[in-house]
Amino acid sequence: MSGPVLAAVLAAVTVLACLAVLAAPSRALPSVAGAGAGVVGAVGVVYGVAAISGGLAPVSVGWLVPLAGLRLAADATSGLFMVVTGAVGVVVGIYTAGYAAHGHMGRTPLSVLPLFLACMLGVPLADSVTTFLFLWELMALSSLLLVLAEARRREVRDAGVWCAAMTHLGFVAVLVGLVVFAAAAGAEGFPELSASAASLSPATRSAVFLLTVAGFGSKAGLVPLHAWLPRAHPEAPGPVSALMSAAMVNLGIYGILRVDVTLLGPGPRWWGLALLAAGAVTAVYGVLQAAVATDLKRLLAYSTSENMGLICVALGTAMLLTASGIPAVAAVAMTAALVHLVGHAAFKSLGFLAAGAVAAATGLRDLDAFGGLAPRMPTTTAAFGIAALGASGLPLGCGFVGEWLLLQSLVHALPAGGTMVALVMPLTVGVVALTTGLGTAAMVKAFGVGFLARPRSAEAERASEVGRAMAVGMGLAALACGVLAVAPAVLAPALSRVLPELPAGAGTPQPRLGALLRLPGVGGSMSPALLALGVAAGVLLAFGATQWRARRRPAPRTAELWACGGGALTARMQYTATSFAEPLQRVFDGVLRPDVELAVTHYSQAPYLVAKVTYRSRLRDTVETSLYTPVIRAVAAAARIARRAHMGSIHAYLAYGAAGLIVALLVAR
Amino acid sequence: MTTAAYTDLLHLAAGLQLLCAVGAVWRRQLGPSVRLLSAQGTALAAIPFVSGLYRHEGHLVGVALAVLVLRGGMLPWLVSRLVPTIVRPAADWTDSGRYAGSDLDLDLDVPGSGSAMRPEPHAHDDPEETREPTPLVSTTVSLLLTAALTALAYAVSRPLVTLDPSPATHAAPAALAVILIGLLVLTTRRRAVSQVIGFLTLDNGIAALAFLLTSGVPLVVELGASLDLLLAVLVVAALTGRMRVKFGGTDLGELQELHE
Repeated sequence: MSGPVLAAVLAAVTVLACLAVLAAPSRALPSVAGAGAGVVGAVGVVYGVAAISGGLAPVSVGWLVPLAGLRLAADATSGLFMVVTGAVGVVVGIYTAGYAAHGHMGRTPLSVLPLFLACMLGVPLADSVTTFLFLWELMALSSLLLVLAEARRREVRDAGVWCAAMTHLGFVAVLVGLVVFAAAAGAEGFPELSASAASLSPATRSAVFLLTVAGFGSKAGLVPLHAWLPRAHPEAPGPVSALMSAAMVNLGIYGILRVDVTLLGPGPRWWGLALLAAGAVTAVYGVLQAAVATDLKRLLAYSTSENMGLICVALGTAMLLTASGIPAVAAVAMTAALVHLVGHAAFKSLGFLAAGAVAAATGLRDLDAFGGLAPRMPTTTAAFGIAALGASGLPLGCGFVGEWLLLQSLVHALPAGGTMVALVMPLTVGVVALTTGLGTAAMVKAFGVGFLARPRSAEAERASEVGRAMAVGMGLAALACGVLAVAPAVLAPALSRVLPELPAGAGTPQPRLGALLRLPGVGGSMSPALLALGVAAGVLLAFGATQWRARRRPAPRTAELWACGGGALTARMQYTATSFAEPLQRVFDGVLRPDVELAVTHYSQAPYLVAKVTYRSRLRDTVETSLYTPVIRAVAAAARIARRAHMGSIHAYLAYGAAGLIVALLVAR
Repeated sequence: MTTAAYTDLLHLAAGLQLLCAVGAVWRRQLGPSVRLLSAQGTALAAIPFVSGLYRHEGHLVGVALAVLVLRGGMLPWLVSRLVPTIVRPAADWTDSGRYAGSDLDLDLDVPGSGSAMRPEPHAHDDPEETREPTPLVSTTVSLLLTAALTALAYAVSRPLVTLDPSPATHAAPAALAVILIGLLVLTTRRRAVSQVIGFLTLDNGIAALAFLLTSGVPLVVELGASLDLLLAVLVVAALTGRMRVKFGGTDLGELQELHE
């Protein structure tokens, strides 16, 4: 199919899906909504695959956006992001059919869902500044509507305000950056911008770079612009969280990749360094907050921030190495960024879908109150286990290949680069290692404390398995995780077309993602499939050996479990999420700065005997409290001063207008 | 028509309009102010009429007739219906001056409905409702401000006049002065009716400026602008009725209570 046909089909399907949800009878609403989102996602996948195969003609619709018109074009890079977004959309659509049947989402959010998905599919297609900004803003607005789906709760409204404010500040940064770029280049189409980027003054290019990275970084959740992400993503309904965390944040990366790496780049070395530093800080900070979080969805949201940080580290490394003249390793870093992006989308959508399933079954998000979900919700537990394995970056998880590629690029850049590279790369290796380690701890906590052991609350005890639609949705995402973990070769055809379009990958031998991962020009190879085979063989061997030994054991007897003489074991004796993370919290006390309250009450008659010990520890986002609070306070103070002008008198307001007109007349003269 | 006569008539119309605007600032009685507004609208209609005769353009004469009907007749008539008459002491006002009548259709008292021909229901024996109370700015100061604004209008519109010197553009500063005076009336008057008068003065000025600076406004544009105006006046009429019911008067200062 040609480009215009695909674009028209996408637009028509979206409009039809939105209208169908609005018009559907209440009984059919969940299935219609799920089908609508799923079909839009499927169209997105088809469009993306067509874009990767190449040869789609650009689409230009003059009348749609006033003055500038709508311009769409699809290259392989856009195609990759569209396939990822569309695939997440398909999975989320199937899941929504079950999730909405519980009555968790109203008609309005369900009708916005296809629109949101279509906007996310449209952003990578945009081929001019106006189109890009238009779709970007439409995406931000529809995501805000979805975050506010349960606006009756106060936390949701707070999250909505944060989301709206940060998203729009980011939008203003992107807007100003792109407008400066377009004004300096004298054109607004991306091809024209790309052609004239090299002739811009270095100051203009750097200003555009900083503004756009700040704007796109706020969407991707880079510290310190991440504050909205761990608030908004957890408060949205499950399917929406999955869409936002697995698809929308990617578009922040897409923005950096499209505008800063492809259109503006290749830039000076400090661009790469800046991106690398921002990514490194984000990765460590995000994973640290994830490790101490007790809210399951908040943990996953911080993990999103962490993974976007890692992707930015990979992008920054690729830019730095391109600027330093080590293209072969830069191509490895760029591949790492793209592979990790796809992997993250797979495991994070699965993670949020599983968390949404638990929230739907128990009404809880607090890990301290979970426990014992494995026998009650086996499918969800297995799904979350696969997601957690992916998020921890260990072999057999789908986050592993990306992180391995990233480490390879960091390690092999050493001998070739100059002093700067020699200084930065080992530090970054440390950052990535620390992130992976803490990420494993966070995921072990989420899975072990949340799903295993005994239930710690009545709600967790009453939990029951979710319906078939939700299970199928999670199963598809789990399948994608498995395939990406064992056979990253499925990404090879797409990457071989994407990499030549990017400065880091053009004109160098690319890493080959076969059954054996080979990095040409760099001595390194690895086979996730063989690794998985080895692990599976080892497990089978151990299982067989124990079975064989078991035959020679005496018959088992049932007896009371020994509890150190302390009586029967209760659920209160288990590790909770807080106690599991306590050592980590202690180690990183200086960064996390928890509010700890310890109150010891003694008996009045016997002052040496303790009646009660109250321990309360509360964790706030340090960056948020130390960086945002002063800003918010200053804005509020300025608003109070400005409010004095609003005294409520119509005459004063009219006088303002009259004075304004007279001043304008005098100035215009 | 000779050019000299055209120039004289055009300037006479613009000057008359300015004079009516100054009169609106001077008079505090609402009844005479409405009559001045009617005269102002007629003077405004004269501008396209004279231009149409001079340049032999039929559609300008049509525009002039539309303006005359709307701004010289209909809008001032609508405003006059908002001014309570003193003649009839009405029983439906309590001693405290608060309206206690039962016919709540008062605030929806749209002309053209059945009530159009019957005597004004909100007649009032308190003369304060028929004239501006102590203004925010005294009459003397208002007149001085008017003079200053007129001078300002002439000063700032000089580039416009030098751009294309013609009899019409030479009269444009007067129209700008009418706009500024309209704003002054809007800013300094308390009664809702005075606000409407100020607003209509402002819009008459804008229309006059459009007639003088361009070679004629298409009928569609003029009709569109006038219909907006009609709507605004109808809304204010409904609002005034509501204010009488809620506050017992139409002093806009009372609205300050609505401030959060």
